[in-house]
Amino acid sequence: MAVTRERFASGLTFEQYKQQMTRNRERFEQNEREVQIKPPDLAAFQALPQPLDVLVLAEDWCGDVIANLPVLGRLAQESGKLNVRVFLRDQNLDLMDQYLKEGKYRSIPAFVFFDRYFNELGRFIERPDDISRLRERKRRELYGQHPEYGSPETPIDQLPEEARAGLMQWMASLREELKPSQDQAVIRDLRAIVERAK
Amino acid sequence: MARRPVKVTITYCAECGYERQTLALTEALLLACGHELSGVELIPWVEGSFEVVVGGERVHSMYRDGGFPEPANVVAAVHRIAGGEGLP
Repeated sequence: MAVTRERFASGLTFEQYKQQMTRNRERFEQNEREVQIKPPDLAAFQALPQPLDVLVLAEDWCGDVIANLPVLGRLAQESGKLNVRVFLRDQNLDLMDQYLKEGKYRSIPAFVFFDRYFNELGRFIERPDDISRLRERKRRELYGQHPEYGSPETPIDQLPEEARAGLMQWMASLREELKPSQDQAVIRDLRAIVERAK
Repeated sequence: MARRPVKVTITYCAECGYERQTLALTEALLLACGHELSGVELIPWVEGSFEVVVGGERVHSMYRDGGFPEPANVVAAVHRIAGGEGLP
């Protein structure tokens, strides 16, 4: 069933969403502060003739939500042209099942943009595809440099503790390293969606 | 024949908040399996994982099977593997 305006309006505002978070709020707000929005990107959102409604599916335990929802929040705040309503995925599976990644995965965050007639303009799910590919490439490079990690397919529980710790540390570093380019890729993807409204 | 204690390894996604399910499963194992366990290892990980290995046999994988395992099924796997039985 299509999302109605009434259902959309029942979602949490961005601020309400932050207030109900039970974990990762500090990281979420740090990401929100650190997002760099380039003037031409902001201008593209500000140029929208009317605000767009953006339905968000999220949960506070998800790393991609912690990374990418703050970008949408800053764009909404600075442009004044995005009316964001957040729904907790696990309490709204009927909504989630309308916006599955590749038609089968309940991936979050999902951002669904609607025009003034409440027609869908486009959707962003989980993270930009090029960032997923970049992460995978870097992961394979790392495994190439560290034979002690086995192959990327080696289950983590089969690695010695020292290798596990090294891998975990590397993944945290990679997340930090890719953060600026990931933010820009998210902004690019969201901008491409809103430009369809013109 | 004496039962041979087995090690259980639970790898869970710490970013995803799977601690409660991990602790519930650990509690079930400790209460039900006693001396059939040589150890329980908990590995905090990422990427949506929830993997359970009993005596080297992967009895549950969120990637492979979806969702969380029923603790009773993991307890049964410990009984089976500690008793030297193969796959059911």
